[in-house]
Amino acid sequence: MLSRVADAMFWMSRYLERAEYLARAVDVTFQLDLDLHGVLANPVELEWNALLSRLRQPPPQLRDSEHPVAAVQRWLLVDSTNAGSVIASVNRSRNNARSIRGSISPAMWRELNKLHWRLSDTALRARVAESPHDFCDETRIGVLLFHGVCEATLTHDEGWHFIQLGRYLERAEQVLRILDSKFGLLERGEAADLPISNLQWGAVLKNCAAYEAYQRLYISRVEPERVVEFLLVNPEFPHSVRFCLARIMASLTEISGRLPDRRDDELVKTVGRLLSDLVYLDCGTLDGERLHAFLGDALLRCWRTGSLLQQQYSLQ
Amino acid sequence: MNHDRAASGPAEHLLAEYELGAAYDEMVGRDGCPRPHYQPLYDRVRQATPEDFRRGKAMTDLSMRQDGVGFTVYRAEEGIERVWPMDPVPRIIPAAEWRQIEVGLTQRISAINLFLWDVYHEQHILRDGVVPARLVLQGGFFRREFVGVNVPRRIYVHVCGTDLIRAADGEYLVLEDNARTPSGVSYMLQNRQVIKRVFPSLFNDYDVLPNDDYPAALLDVLQYIAPESASQPTAVLLSPGMYNSAYFEHSFLAQRMGIELVEGRDLLVDGNRVFMRTTRGLQKVDVIYRRIDDDFLDPLTFRPDSALGVPGLVNAYRAGTVALANSIGTGIADDKGVYPFVPDMIRYYLKQEPLLNNVETFRPEVPSHRSHVLANLESLVVKRVNESGGYGMLIGPASTREQREEFRAQIEASPRDFIAQPTIQLSTHPTFVDGRLEGRHVDLRPFVLCGERITVTPGGLTRVALPKGSLVVNSSQGGGSKDTWILADSQRM
Repeated sequence: MLSRVADAMFWMSRYLERAEYLARAVDVTFQLDLDLHGVLANPVELEWNALLSRLRQPPPQLRDSEHPVAAVQRWLLVDSTNAGSVIASVNRSRNNARSIRGSISPAMWRELNKLHWRLSDTALRARVAESPHDFCDETRIGVLLFHGVCEATLTHDEGWHFIQLGRYLERAEQVLRILDSKFGLLERGEAADLPISNLQWGAVLKNCAAYEAYQRLYISRVEPERVVEFLLVNPEFPHSVRFCLARIMASLTEISGRLPDRRDDELVKTVGRLLSDLVYLDCGTLDGERLHAFLGDALLRCWRTGSLLQQQYSLQ
Repeated sequence: MNHDRAASGPAEHLLAEYELGAAYDEMVGRDGCPRPHYQPLYDRVRQATPEDFRRGKAMTDLSMRQDGVGFTVYRAEEGIERVWPMDPVPRIIPAAEWRQIEVGLTQRISAINLFLWDVYHEQHILRDGVVPARLVLQGGFFRREFVGVNVPRRIYVHVCGTDLIRAADGEYLVLEDNARTPSGVSYMLQNRQVIKRVFPSLFNDYDVLPNDDYPAALLDVLQYIAPESASQPTAVLLSPGMYNSAYFEHSFLAQRMGIELVEGRDLLVDGNRVFMRTTRGLQKVDVIYRRIDDDFLDPLTFRPDSALGVPGLVNAYRAGTVALANSIGTGIADDKGVYPFVPDMIRYYLKQEPLLNNVETFRPEVPSHRSHVLANLESLVVKRVNESGGYGMLIGPASTREQREEFRAQIEASPRDFIAQPTIQLSTHPTFVDGRLEGRHVDLRPFVLCGERITVTPGGLTRVALPKGSLVVNSSQGGGSKDTWILADSQRM
């Protein structure tokens, strides 16, 4: 397959995953904000600023008489001048898809195009000021539909694997960053604030679409250590970092058409080592600082994976 | 203008107020009765409510938008995407009429290919004075670099999209031959898909020939011209990329043929052979269906500033390691200055009379023509020979004094650059406008493929000028399109 096409497959999928995670983050923060309103003094600053800093985004310029929270929501969701907004990510994804329309299935293009047009709807955008929920929901559903259609209509060949790489590499980084933004909570271990801790760790799970799955597995109050364990090393949950790395490994193996134990393949080696670290990780030993160090290191290795991928397949 | 009322019937139906103008109307005859092959459609339309059509039209538009069918005008960051509007009332051509078009086009493209071979080799037709040598050799689209080059299977034009119009008496006339990189075939195919989705019941009364075979037939042509050394030839479609206005068509055709859509930057030439850059290294390319103009194809041979092309491609083509469709230099055959001579080419090469006539054309280069043109600018259509897409035209009856004076000065300065034709009232066809059907002018672009044999896909692109009275059907000038139905012999009428 053309290197340019492989590159566009990868980014089409990666930008969509990014849009999905951001849409979910805004929605979850919005809900959390409502919950915390009654219990904390400045939930607005706390949660929204935490989100902005996790995204490495500056606070947005306020427009006339705009509420600060509404401004953040606008900035993150529908502001096309923000290269990191949901709308900008969907546009980039669609532009990548456009450039390879002949290589993806027509149904995939159609689904992505529909998402673009739905999110461009002025009425939907106007409602964001009041509640971002509908917009976020449209985004999530659109991305899921896209992947469903992709799964069912595109031959699972090289191109499909590049789509998987984009999706799971982005997801792994997102989950690692979400966890890393909360490691401080783990350190403090304020048992007295159980309901609040419950809400906040619940929000971490929801950020990763993991709340219900976690509940089914652990059947209890949300325990920080278990959340970390679930999101890092659960082998079966699609948003755990280990799951993502296993998928990346599988796709790399398929693409290179070689066995994963090729020693000289730097790319496969990088992914394989991180995956095995996750497989054998003893979560009980990770207190706040150690967790932070582990997550930071894992993130670096994900970035390295991305750049090796570009070198190896001469993606631009 | 005589305004006849078409047909009778309840005042509220969609065709109740249908007006006939001076032009030939495709559906309704001079007597106000529908032509026989339109009768079933006519009856259905009379039973339909404006609401039915409005709903259908909305579904059509939505469907087109969701499929991203259209052309793009990119401005700034957001980009403006326009969907090319499709009118829901199909244009219908009976089998016998189509057969005439088919043989006429086949004859025409045969002559054009013989002409191209000739002017790039012995130039008999120029030496015999049938076509003025100067006209060809000094034409902007003549590629002197290509004289003496042997093209695979002696075919220059593999894909042709000839524009036909109908005169007031209903005769089909050739308006122009598009022999370079004609577009529009994807709309022909897409329109059929959409109308089947939106108005399936219209098909009940008709035996419509499918047009869906086009991509497969095009692929056959591409494989037919591949170098003989390639046992399993790899064909690609070379596009300028997603910012080109016909990009939708490029990706559509590449997908339907199952070949790669490549851009210039995906290809490279090494040792006179063409390769594409893939995730597994370089892969040899044998045939290129190029949708890039000659000028941009290869910066080493043509425009050195072209970033769209592939350095060295022309030499590889000369060496015969790669085939191009269409070949290089075909533009001289559809040069508007050469167009008046196509009937002579048919007589010269094929010893036949043309089956499809040209529109009467004046060449200001000929003194007697020039005086006629300059004296009649108000009633003529004047075209620049090296422009297309509805640009560089003067439509006499709709022009201002300033425009006419401007053209007068230009014609006097460089008569070779212009041709003039009487203003033909292109036929009209009922078209859904503002909740009812009104006559709008249409043309017809059938698509001809030339490989092992010449085939004309049953169908074509009917373009419709949506503004009332407009004669310009180009998409860039407010045109829309219609599905075009060619009826089978079995059709009962």
